[in-house]
Amino acid sequence: MNPAAKLVELTIDGTAVSVPQGTTIFDAARTHGIPIPTLCHQQNENPVGVCRVCVVDIGQRVYAASCIRQAEQGMTVKTNTAPVVGVRHTLVELLMSDHPSPCARQQHSGDCELERLAEQAGIQQPRFARRTTPRGHDDSSLAIAVDHEACILCDRCIRGCDDIRNNWVLARRGKGYQAGIAFDNNLPMGGSSCVSCGECMVSCPTGALTNRSAVGTKLEGGALDIGALLGLPIFKNVSGTFLELNSHAIVERKFRAGEIICREGDFGATAFYLVDGKVEVYLSSPIAHVKTEGSAKGFLSKLRSMLQSREQDERTEESSRVSIPIDAPVDLPYDHPIAELGPGDLFGEMTCMSYYPRSATVRAKTDCTMLEMLRNVLDIMQRNKTFREQLDRTYRQRALDSHLRSVPVLASLTPDFIDHLRNRVELLRFTPGQVICTQGEPADSFYLVRLGFVKVAQSRPGGELVLAYLARGSYFAEMSLLTGTPHMATCSALDHVEVVRVPGEDFQVMLDRFPEIRRKLEEAAAEHMEQNRQRVTKVADVTVDQFLNQGLMEAQSLLILDLDRCTRCDQCVRACADAHDGVSRLIRDGLRFDRYLVATSCRQCRDPLCMVGCPVGSIRRRNTLEVIIEDWCIGCGQCANNCPYGNINMHPFPVELDDPAYPGRRMAGVKVKATSCDLCLDHAEPSCVYACPHDAAHRVNPLEFFGGLLKRQTVAKSGK
Amino acid sequence: MRIDETHRKWFIGSLVGLAVAVVVYVPYSRSSPQGAGGGTTMGLIYGSVAFAFMIFAGLLGARKKVPIWRLGRAQAWMRGHLWLGFVSFPLIVLHSGFHFGVGLTKALMWLFAVVFVSGIVGAVLQHFMPRITTQRIPLETIYEQIGRVRLQLMEEAISLVDEAYALLHGDVSQANEQQRAASASAGTMGGLTVASGMQVDEEASAELKQFFQGEIQPFLAQSGSHGHVLADRNRAQAMFRQLRTLLPPNLHSTVDDLENICEEKREIDQQARYHRVLHGWLLVHIPASYALLILGAVHAVMALRY
Repeated sequence: MNPAAKLVELTIDGTAVSVPQGTTIFDAARTHGIPIPTLCHQQNENPVGVCRVCVVDIGQRVYAASCIRQAEQGMTVKTNTAPVVGVRHTLVELLMSDHPSPCARQQHSGDCELERLAEQAGIQQPRFARRTTPRGHDDSSLAIAVDHEACILCDRCIRGCDDIRNNWVLARRGKGYQAGIAFDNNLPMGGSSCVSCGECMVSCPTGALTNRSAVGTKLEGGALDIGALLGLPIFKNVSGTFLELNSHAIVERKFRAGEIICREGDFGATAFYLVDGKVEVYLSSPIAHVKTEGSAKGFLSKLRSMLQSREQDERTEESSRVSIPIDAPVDLPYDHPIAELGPGDLFGEMTCMSYYPRSATVRAKTDCTMLEMLRNVLDIMQRNKTFREQLDRTYRQRALDSHLRSVPVLASLTPDFIDHLRNRVELLRFTPGQVICTQGEPADSFYLVRLGFVKVAQSRPGGELVLAYLARGSYFAEMSLLTGTPHMATCSALDHVEVVRVPGEDFQVMLDRFPEIRRKLEEAAAEHMEQNRQRVTKVADVTVDQFLNQGLMEAQSLLILDLDRCTRCDQCVRACADAHDGVSRLIRDGLRFDRYLVATSCRQCRDPLCMVGCPVGSIRRRNTLEVIIEDWCIGCGQCANNCPYGNINMHPFPVELDDPAYPGRRMAGVKVKATSCDLCLDHAEPSCVYACPHDAAHRVNPLEFFGGLLKRQTVAKSGK
Repeated sequence: MRIDETHRKWFIGSLVGLAVAVVVYVPYSRSSPQGAGGGTTMGLIYGSVAFAFMIFAGLLGARKKVPIWRLGRAQAWMRGHLWLGFVSFPLIVLHSGFHFGVGLTKALMWLFAVVFVSGIVGAVLQHFMPRITTQRIPLETIYEQIGRVRLQLMEEAISLVDEAYALLHGDVSQANEQQRAASASAGTMGGLTVASGMQVDEEASAELKQFFQGEIQPFLAQSGSHGHVLADRNRAQAMFRQLRTLLPPNLHSTVDDLENICEEKREIDQQARYHRVLHGWLLVHIPASYALLILGAVHAVMALRY
């Protein structure tokens, strides 16, 4: 209390009190031990008087909200008369009529302030009708759950966000009965600029904003002292409250030299931050693809599947990649897929944020200390400016060079130009569904995908047409920059995505300085435009619903069985299995179109969902649109899971592996590689078709084969 | 294999070959002093050609064992099997001079007749049955998977009935979304809560239990229909209609699902029957063919040697 301040004297519930001028009635009562209930007010925030639960009788025509009305000389305040209590009762009852009781907070910790007041007032079932239109939930944030149903519009969260933390993310939206809280311009919380400081959550009196501590499972490992954690530079400015609430989601792990930290292909849910020590990142899967060929040529040829490297079997349009993209700040060199990470490096982001399989095996090179964290903690950290700056700095210093060079068209960039770009590029982060660039808008940047998958889609009459899915190492927006036209498609994040933004002017400088890169980019752009044009033409020609619904339009090559001829003898399946060491790549089952069975065998889709989620980007499409699995497939099975038609198989191969029990010793093991129908390329005809004795199996281009049928059906449909 | 216009060349070729054989046979049989027979030069030629055709037809089985060997497309082998096998019988008849003979030759002729007729039956079945199967069984599955699908249908039905029991006894937590929604709109006050609309209905519960345990479960459990009442689509529809009248409206979707499960079971039973018809003739054709080839070889050796 400021001793120089002028005092005012008043009476509260018959007690004479003296408080400095400017003190609110609420504070005057509180300091003298007279409780006044409230919902919208708390000590660390400026009062706004919106809930009116703190009303008191000051002898005037209307009751005053004690949290904002200042005490006046000679004032007589009654806080607990029957009419005042009755008004409060009605207010609480009105609020309770829309409140989902028990709310999340009441269920979790039993301290929902509204429900506590209702209980004290003896309110069980409100007399008023409940609202009929739901206000909804927002589960987009990994850290905070938003239940708009439980919100009483007290504005405590807004004041916490804006006045206390100065983040200015939260505000009011709507009017009257439609009013609610909003993040940025009414975005989902997870997609907003919220930094997950947690202030809104700790300010909320009800279960409208609660901690999502249930995210992930409890981690095993050394428990961390929050104080010590906050002492680490990367946790500077992270909310201590939040770390405390999520203390189970981050642990300290110590590894001895030689210990395996995670293995490629394993499923996990955590990311690792290297505090000290060094680790090796490598691929233990053989760098080879599955090749099926005859061991003896001629009519008695017997097919055999084997693993062959790029040197042994150079396939047409083999990737000219010199590096393998992994879920770490570095790429692995193709010839010797091993790299080193040091203090300050973060790896496993894609596994943690999007649950992709581990992309590489990580082994401690020296004794090291790590922080292993679940996605809610990683999300908080990634929203933290200090941590972002550190990641950004590390990327610019260590990874930008290799990332740019890993893109074949940019391989000829000179070191001085990369140095020029180093402080010009920007690392941007996008949440699932967030738009990176919009079709029709002017292009001002060139983007390189660093993490996650970007969906490229064109908006067309009748719906959206997906043109491509871009993984790490891919780039986009170059066509618009080259031609000076607006964006031709909308690019959005399919999962948690990070892109490197190269400003348009630097891109132009690059094109001027490196004519070779310009030529390559122009060639690639022309090719993409032609492919897109073909796809759009094909889609426009097809109108038959069933054909579209079954995704047949997306297929380039279908294995179909004429069911009027097929005697279900399974010779096709037997032949496929014989041709691939007993692992059949087709199942005689699937959807029917007309009298044909579309067998479960690779369709060489134009929109290959199998490519989404490959942690090492080893499955891709050739320019002929044929799906190819590159040599560095780690056999995690993600593509097989993603294929909506079940057309990718995992083929086991015997290999020699490190014996984890006896370092240095080798042991027999099995490594799997993803395979899809290879059309028995060594032969003129796929084995399944060749072996069908009833002329029922055919490999066809769906649009050509079903062309006549589709026309007839379309005519019949339009005739109706 | 479907016999259509793509068989035209084989058909004409076989017909021409057969006509030539018959044309040659007429002067040969008239000029032979003892009449046509297997022992004459012409008779031996007919027999050798027919036996060669039979061997080729028989090799189809061996060809199928090595499906990826590039020995010619399997469908070419199948066409050869059909047409050469077909022609070989009249050739053998010409070889024998229309005599059945005695002993081994008689047995051979009868065996060949069995092979020939079973082959014709098989060809007819393979011509028509795939189309019939396609048309009548839209939910066809892989034949070897039928047992597994049947078990899945049973599990699905049990789970549906469990949910329905739970609903009838007021345990909302086990009811599915559809049932909850149906329940809420079916008689609760303003759809305020789902639970308030549910009341224990012992009578309905008993009806459902009786129908499930007495009819559905046995029907789903057995591998074929064996004259079960639910195997008849019309009777099954009538029974399910009656069941609906006994159950509250919020369980009608469950009855629909159970009816669909029974329909699927009828389809897989029918598929199994069709499959047995489509491939059952092979149980006669293949052993008889092997026997024919072996005895034919014995006959050839004995005839040539003695």
